[in-house]
Amino acid sequence: MSLRPTLSVVVPLYNEEESVPGLVDAVRSALAGDRTWELVLVDDGSRDGTAAAAQRISAVDPRVRLIRLARNYGQTQAMQAGFDAVQGDIVVSMDGDLQNDPADIPMLVSTLEQGYDLVAGYRERRQDKVITRKIPSWVANRLIRAITTVPIRDNGCSLKAYRREMLDRMHLYSDMHRFLPALAAATAGARITEVAVRHHARRFGQSKYGLSRILKILADLLTITMISWFRERPIALFGLGAAGAFGLGMLFFGFSMLGVIDPRPRVAHAYVLPAAGILWLVLAWYLVMIGLIGEVALRTAREREDVLPIAVEQPL
Amino acid sequence: MTGPQFDLTVVVPVAERPIALDQLYHEFSRPLREAGYSFEFLFVAHPWARKLTAVLATLRAAGEPVRLIEVAQGGETTLLKVAAANVRSRILVTLPAYLQTEPTVLPDLVTQVREGADLAVAWRAQRRDSIVNRLQNRILHLFVGRLGGGRLHDVACGVRAMRTEVVSEIPLYGDFARFLPLLALREGQTVEEVPTAVHRKAMQGRVYGPGIYLRRLIDVLGLFFLIKFTDKPLRFFGLVGASIALTGLFILLVVLIQRLTGTPLADRPILLLGVLLLTLGMQSIALGLIGEMIVHLSAPQQQRYRLRRTNSPARPDAA
Repeated sequence: MSLRPTLSVVVPLYNEEESVPGLVDAVRSALAGDRTWELVLVDDGSRDGTAAAAQRISAVDPRVRLIRLARNYGQTQAMQAGFDAVQGDIVVSMDGDLQNDPADIPMLVSTLEQGYDLVAGYRERRQDKVITRKIPSWVANRLIRAITTVPIRDNGCSLKAYRREMLDRMHLYSDMHRFLPALAAATAGARITEVAVRHHARRFGQSKYGLSRILKILADLLTITMISWFRERPIALFGLGAAGAFGLGMLFFGFSMLGVIDPRPRVAHAYVLPAAGILWLVLAWYLVMIGLIGEVALRTAREREDVLPIAVEQPL
Repeated sequence: MTGPQFDLTVVVPVAERPIALDQLYHEFSRPLREAGYSFEFLFVAHPWARKLTAVLATLRAAGEPVRLIEVAQGGETTLLKVAAANVRSRILVTLPAYLQTEPTVLPDLVTQVREGADLAVAWRAQRRDSIVNRLQNRILHLFVGRLGGGRLHDVACGVRAMRTEVVSEIPLYGDFARFLPLLALREGQTVEEVPTAVHRKAMQGRVYGPGIYLRRLIDVLGLFFLIKFTDKPLRFFGLVGASIALTGLFILLVVLIQRLTGTPLADRPILLLGVLLLTLGMQSIALGLIGEMIVHLSAPQQQRYRLRRTNSPARPDAA
């Protein structure tokens, strides 16, 4: 068929050999009779028969496409590879482990068509372990929501729908798929909403997450905070830090001045406190310099490419 | 260029401790000729190596397929990249300008590439060089072995065969050509090892000045950072910075508690250490944040994944 599909479903797969046939069947029946669609399976360097299983299906059904990454890059890169390959104007992403239900796709798409650029699924009755999965995820989502102010309750749910114009303005890297809504809001100006979706317990294979990710997520959270608030003005962030350091420095100098009025002057007032004050001033100076480097980086990037966020003219 | 004119090109960067190039040529061309390959030897050298490269004219006059390209700038990585741009064959073999391995390994390496590997590297499984050399190699692999997922035994061996395009598909700069197999793995290329022996004449130990070891150490650190953290600098700077800053904060807290229980704050020189560590940690975190900013801003220009070559063998790759 030479017709370009209007809906593209992207599924990153890593060692999901057993899930593939069921996944494809579920997508087929969910989208039966609907618009023209394609299913983009991204094999993220699986070591089992995932690619072969997907290949067998795509050989008989041209709507199913297989993209194979050269090695295991991780979910973020796999999703981006899928996004780069889609043909449809509406894109849906989901996990390959059958925990998401493709039957929710039409509902996500119709929500998207009400005027959103990103519709995130929200797992209402999540079927996962409480201690290792649900509690850390609850804390993380609270934090992310508070910091980025993007009102998403469930950042970890992969079932999402997007407009292609939005995806063209957003680039996933590192492990940023966890912060996808925040990234979409910051870089593309996406209009975001969320809807409740079904969630099933894992049937095959192993969960690919663990508790060890907390430090990494904290670092990434700091990054997404910076991107959300200071992407277009790095000097403001570092200037703010510099102002704080400067204030602390002045505080130490102020205390050292107490020595002047002290009837019994101490050595410390002349040395320890001013020296500590100087250290803070040095930090302030350094942060300003770093902020300027940030401005240089921003300017260079904008000279190469300057993409405007999504803008919609409103009927008056 | 009108298609490949040879089966393979042997690229010899004339950089480190070279031996007589005609001897090298005769040693290593023989097994290739016996295996029936058509080939050309491409020597890349700095102009100040003319004493060594003079002999190539004699070889050429004798009808041997040798070429010489001079580059007046850059290290081994640059020499390799310049050579790759001038190669007239689909397969490229790199050969250090000294007797590193047995010459017989060359046809085996080429076979691996013809069978679908992106890169095949000789592995000096049978070492008969000096104990000093072996120790150096051991220590190197202690550090870099894990970066390749523990799959490679002899990262530093310069005898390799590859698809010619591999050189341009891998971000090569600085001194990283030395670690080509590791970088290739990172780019999702298939890397095969071919066990062989150290050249029978390579018996003498090579001991370098401390400067070389320092440079190698910096190379390895750079490689480690490149492989682990280029996409996420804050994970590195943040961890280091947070540890330092928290130590500083702890010291300040102790001093503060002692202040509340009587010891005057200003009489504690350790206060200085606390402030110093705290500010140092914050500097590290700020640097990491700037790194993240640069990574974020360059994301639209960079494709961070590679697709599998369609004709590559169906062999799963290591991460």
